[in-house]
Amino acid sequence: MLLYVLRRIVQAAFVTVGVSIASFALIHLVPGDPVRVSLGTRYDPQTARVLRHAAGLDRPLVQQYLRWAGHALRGDLGVSFETQEPVGSAIVHRLPATLTLAGAALLIALLIALPLGTIAAVRARTAVDYAATAISQVGVSIPDFWIGIMLIFLVAGRWGWLPPSGYVSIGQSFTGWLEHLVLPALSVGLVSAAILSRFVRAAMIEALQQDYTRTARARGLSQRAVVVRHALKNALPPIVTVTGLQLAYLLGGVIVVETIFAWPGLGRLALDAAQTRDYPVLQGAILLFALTFVVVNLVVDVVYALLDPRIQVR
Amino acid sequence: MIRRHPALLALALAAVAAAVAVAFASRPAAAAPRVHATPSTATIQRGGTLTAAISGEPQGFDPQKTTAYASFQVLENVYDTLVEPGSNLQMQPALATSWTQSKNHLTWTFQLRKGVKFQNGRAFTSADVVFSANRWRGKTSQVAYRLAAVKSVTAKGPYAVVFHLKAPAPNLLSAIGGFKGLAVVPKEIVADNSIGRHPVGTGPFEFVKYAPGDEVVLRRNPYYWRKGQPYLDQVVFKIIPDASVKTTNLTGGQVDWIDSVPSQSLKSLRTAKGVKVASVPGNDYWYFALNEKRKQWQDVRVRQAISYAIDRAQITEAARAGEATPNQAAIPRTSTWYAPISPFHYNPAKAKALLKAAGATNLSLDLLVTSQYPESVAAGQVIAAELANIGVTVKVDSVDFGTWLTREGKGDDDAFLLSWLGNIDPQDFYYAQHHCGGADNFQGFCSKQVDKWLDAGQKTTNQAQRKADYSKAAALIVKDASYIYLYNPDVVQGWRTTVHGYAPRPDSAIRFRSVWVGK
Repeated sequence: MLLYVLRRIVQAAFVTVGVSIASFALIHLVPGDPVRVSLGTRYDPQTARVLRHAAGLDRPLVQQYLRWAGHALRGDLGVSFETQEPVGSAIVHRLPATLTLAGAALLIALLIALPLGTIAAVRARTAVDYAATAISQVGVSIPDFWIGIMLIFLVAGRWGWLPPSGYVSIGQSFTGWLEHLVLPALSVGLVSAAILSRFVRAAMIEALQQDYTRTARARGLSQRAVVVRHALKNALPPIVTVTGLQLAYLLGGVIVVETIFAWPGLGRLALDAAQTRDYPVLQGAILLFALTFVVVNLVVDVVYALLDPRIQVR
Repeated sequence: MIRRHPALLALALAAVAAAVAVAFASRPAAAAPRVHATPSTATIQRGGTLTAAISGEPQGFDPQKTTAYASFQVLENVYDTLVEPGSNLQMQPALATSWTQSKNHLTWTFQLRKGVKFQNGRAFTSADVVFSANRWRGKTSQVAYRLAAVKSVTAKGPYAVVFHLKAPAPNLLSAIGGFKGLAVVPKEIVADNSIGRHPVGTGPFEFVKYAPGDEVVLRRNPYYWRKGQPYLDQVVFKIIPDASVKTTNLTGGQVDWIDSVPSQSLKSLRTAKGVKVASVPGNDYWYFALNEKRKQWQDVRVRQAISYAIDRAQITEAARAGEATPNQAAIPRTSTWYAPISPFHYNPAKAKALLKAAGATNLSLDLLVTSQYPESVAAGQVIAAELANIGVTVKVDSVDFGTWLTREGKGDDDAFLLSWLGNIDPQDFYYAQHHCGGADNFQGFCSKQVDKWLDAGQKTTNQAQRKADYSKAAALIVKDASYIYLYNPDVVQGWRTTVHGYAPRPDSAIRFRSVWVGK
């Protein structure tokens, strides 16, 4: 196992480096640069030249990348072109909001998907199953931002039960934090729930058809014991895999939902950086997304192996 | 130039115009609410927080570096300039109390206000003005272009400064005070490089903190030189990018003020309880320009044909739901520099005739707009439809703003469409964009006659003569279609009825120093 993990870590390093090179190249290929954007319509070639030189933007691309990579390895991701704030601290400031939203959304997703998918599987090909499948089909097709806007207009706007947007940190006020979290988490979580429930259903149907299920039933175990203690437990590995992917996606920041709910997360940080061509911030954010994906995938694979002793990690 | 998120929607122009008219007539405090009135001290309530929702993200707080409107919405309340535009955009004393010019107009002496302190407690003196003026003219300053005529700035004792000019600059006042890019900054925050993240000025509110993506917090400046002001204890700018969500926050009472009203919310907002919407004609203008570096747009008849082929009223309706005044020139009717210029009128037949005379057939036009300003996309689509009527095929190219700037700068398209933010002096409206080789002349227009009048207007100190020069230049700029101007948008803002003492400004500057919150 240890060897497996070590090997995966080395692979992860390669993937991360590859992503950082690709993103660096792509970011610089897009028309415009931070100097062009910050000077705006008052662009004057002389001032631009001075600013570009100060930011090191006139050096060859490879040299710029190596300089960035060298600093990054030492934990220095540079400073934002716009605000001069260190990139690392800019990202860290947005982490609580992103982690909260991702965590809450995933919790909602699992709380809905596990029962929904299980019921659909247990009552496969009955009216209950068709209803559950229809619900999840609708959920998968609806964009999360549409749900968000509807929730804001109804729950916040019309009924006034919850605030329409914004973020309050848990340190400031627990009730405030919870109140502001509900609607965005629901917007993202409902769609995730729909996606996950389909996997739960498929994995459960598979598990329920296995020999051990028949054996358990034959041994006289209650339906609940069969479903939960045996089938669900065996269905977990693929469910964990998909959940991991969902988590990695959510941690990358759900840009549109963050924009609608004025949620100060990493998605908006990356979007703003892309629009203003704030290279250091954008590069740092993409690096973080890549690392997150890679780490989550590694953890999922390890958990998968731990859950299923038949899986041999080689 | 300040980049900003577009203001939207139509409002009771007439009601506001009436309010403005009442405010201008010098009458004692009346019962009806006046847009620019100073409330009687008996009714003002001190204290409290104003929560103001803005749609853009500030991009740094260094007034000499940032061009983002969202940054200036904050900086307007933190800094002062030597002079500032009043509600009618006439320059008023601020940190300077009076000024004189030498006979040859090459020396301006400003007397500075005494007893002013920066928010960090340090006294303001002429040394701060000299330091700031040198920073304004610095190599990487965003506002250096405004002071091209300035040779040097020196102190004359602790409470006076002298501007030494290379040539007479009749627009010096608006050049040094038109917006907060010309803020007077204390040198200590430049020395320790904190100016971009933590501004310190002499303005009514001091900067407390900025939570990116979330809010900017300001608190009352106890040293503020306008006695009695500000009335609020705190101003919190909430960043809410989505326009409809911003409006929902206003009607729900989570915010007290919003910086622009989206068209679709206008009707419901006007009838919503506890909410007030007001507008004022603005100094911004929208335009599109044909790229004269490309052969097909070099014939003036072709450009004029395009100008005849568009229906400005229709474009205004589509892009701003009518919340604007169509204008064939840049300067709005409300400006003292306004001159009526309208050689064109919607006439597709005349347009086709001009194209035929110029021998231009089967023209195709790439029109560069930006998704960052949806107004530009809407306007572009209407223009495309209208030009199709005269046989010109338009492709509307909508890109993000960074790409728009790059392609405009490189001249990669047949035409580009956008707006210029409110300016005050006619030189700001016309010089850089239309002078041969002008810094912002991306369309490549060049007319010796226009240059003659622009240069004259730049130097003449006789106001009437200046107006004549600039009006003549503008008339030719419009006739030769260097820009095809579209309209001047209104500044439309909304706030709760508990907010008092606020009025939208034609230059879109946001001032909270005379605002108080009550019942």
